[in-house]
Amino acid sequence: MPGAIPGRLDGELVVGGRVAGRDPQALVARQVGIVFQDPESQLVMERVDDEVAFGLESLGWPAGEMRARVPEALAELGLGGFGRRRTARLSGGEQQRLAIAGALAPAPGILVLDEPTANLDPDGTRELAARLAAMRAARSTTIVLVEHHADLVWPIADLVLALGADGRPIALGPPGALLERHAAGLAAAGIWLPDPFGPGTAAAAPPDAPRPEPAAGRLLVEVRGVGFAWDHARPILRTMDLHLSAGDRVAMLGPNGIGKSTLGRIVSGLLRPTAGSVRLAGSDPARLPARELARLVGYVFQDPERQFVAATVRAEMEAGLEVSDRAGVAEVAATLGLPLEVFGDRSPYTLSGGEQRRLSLAPALVRRPSLLVLDEPTYGQDRHGYDRLIDFLRARLGNGTAILVATHDLRLVADLGARPFVLGATSSGAVAV
Amino acid sequence: MIAVRAPEDRSLASPLGRISPVAKLVLVATWVAGLALTTDPRPPLMLGAIGLAAAVVLGRVRPASLAVALAPLAFATLTVGFFNALLNPANGNPALAVVASLGPIRLTAPAVLAGVALACRVGAVAALGIAFALTTDTTRLVDALVQQARVPERFAYGALAAFQAVPRLAEDFVALREARRIRGLRTTWHPRILVGLLVLAIRRADRLAVAMDARGFGSGPRTRYRVERWSLPDAALLGAGSVVLVAAMVFGR
Repeated sequence: MPGAIPGRLDGELVVGGRVAGRDPQALVARQVGIVFQDPESQLVMERVDDEVAFGLESLGWPAGEMRARVPEALAELGLGGFGRRRTARLSGGEQQRLAIAGALAPAPGILVLDEPTANLDPDGTRELAARLAAMRAARSTTIVLVEHHADLVWPIADLVLALGADGRPIALGPPGALLERHAAGLAAAGIWLPDPFGPGTAAAAPPDAPRPEPAAGRLLVEVRGVGFAWDHARPILRTMDLHLSAGDRVAMLGPNGIGKSTLGRIVSGLLRPTAGSVRLAGSDPARLPARELARLVGYVFQDPERQFVAATVRAEMEAGLEVSDRAGVAEVAATLGLPLEVFGDRSPYTLSGGEQRRLSLAPALVRRPSLLVLDEPTYGQDRHGYDRLIDFLRARLGNGTAILVATHDLRLVADLGARPFVLGATSSGAVAV
Repeated sequence: MIAVRAPEDRSLASPLGRISPVAKLVLVATWVAGLALTTDPRPPLMLGAIGLAAAVVLGRVRPASLAVALAPLAFATLTVGFFNALLNPANGNPALAVVASLGPIRLTAPAVLAGVALACRVGAVAALGIAFALTTDTTRLVDALVQQARVPERFAYGALAAFQAVPRLAEDFVALREARRIRGLRTTWHPRILVGLLVLAIRRADRLAVAMDARGFGSGPRTRYRVERWSLPDAALLGAGSVVLVAAMVFGR
């Protein structure tokens, strides 16, 4: 669907005998089903069966055939019996499988999946991988999968196409042959490789520099019996305890919706708990004036676009700083690969995903807060973006800043040397492992 | 957080829930139009009460859910009525009987009556709106608008998407204010928050539009998964509703 995206298309794209962009979209839509990254923003209808039927209705399927096909498509993705559920109340993994069911219902020859696991927790990713493997075994549909998650996709791919930063193909071939011949080149281009081949950051990097023992650091964060609920019938957090010393690194783990972000926001003073107490450097963070809070805590949002407060990159970096502190901004910008001479006057919203992620880290580097809270910071990042983030957190930030990160990414936990803190649905609180 | 109250499944399966949403919409619009023509407090009281009773009896809405939905609107209604009575010019007419006074402030009988009548009308409109919302499935409303009221598809599905985006907009607003607080900026109203909200809303709308196009939306004539047809209960509701409206208006003359 070249018409939907601003840009220039060179050459010709022929899909099942139809020329994309020239032949009517309906003819192309009949051939290709597409699933996008964010499960929420691609679902149209309120209920599961209507969602699957939406594409069939658009393509003019007769009512009788639709009524037979909808439950069939749902069952294929393990969503049998979900027909009357509300799409907004499904888990992320279920929503993503629903999106695939909707794309597959018209039985397209080709299914395109654009980073379908980016928003999923490990369970959701495993379920999706199992369904994809089953679809591959059935051989009824050609699957084109765009993915950073190498361990998931390399084993189920028949053919791998590696693209460089300039959009030109680097290599195309069966996964085994590609790894044998091009592994080094692919890694250099920032492409994730499956584990034994990837020069893993953890393996390549020197062992963790000696850090002050947590016991030696002074107590920075004290969370005692904290609970939180928007609605008393469905509490998000119950009697949670968490302690962080200066320089500590803790990773919050657990399925989507278990309250990782909520706990991060409570510790950062953005949200007041409905039970229990929080102490950040001795005071209640929710009661701190914004200026003092900003000195103590930095917060990196999952979606950088939700955290931009200014019209230009320069203003974004200087926001909330005393005039005397602004001197360091230019250096920080250069460190992050966003030199002000080039990026200073651009709008944060026009940056690429990787540039936005780096810009979102800038306040922490300028202020060097006692605590940095990060919510899914590796989401959608390629190998280079990931390496830059690790470098930032391990080397640039220094040992003075404690890190609390909410993530599904176990590689990040290992590379940071973070203490895992698992939030579970069954336990009343969390288990420190 | 904005709590958007969705109708419960038992209400959607009730007799009133199964009525065509367009028939209910037409009836509510007719009653509201009728209420605009009267200044007597009795017709709105009758119609509002009948609407709520129908929601509970025919629509199987739990009285508790009804109360939760009504509470903020009841407060607004009383406030509107009170200030309308207080600021009525009739209070300045020395010839009129005083109902209550506090220092120089007088409340005359006609002013109180006008305030009560206005509160009744506003309250009745709110009650009818809630009775409609708590017994109507949004998807069916869209289907019925397209199939029975011949509303253009683009508009109807766009409205559905906009309706579903409201809770997300509230989440974005919270996040943007949090981002300002953590940077040491004031979290009271600032134009940048509006810019952020617009950017996020447009990005999201864009993604949804691309997803809809990818599934062939608007590429040709649509078929219907759920067929909305006029039925006898629809006609019965419209007929009975019209009789009730006329009776209430006659009673209130």
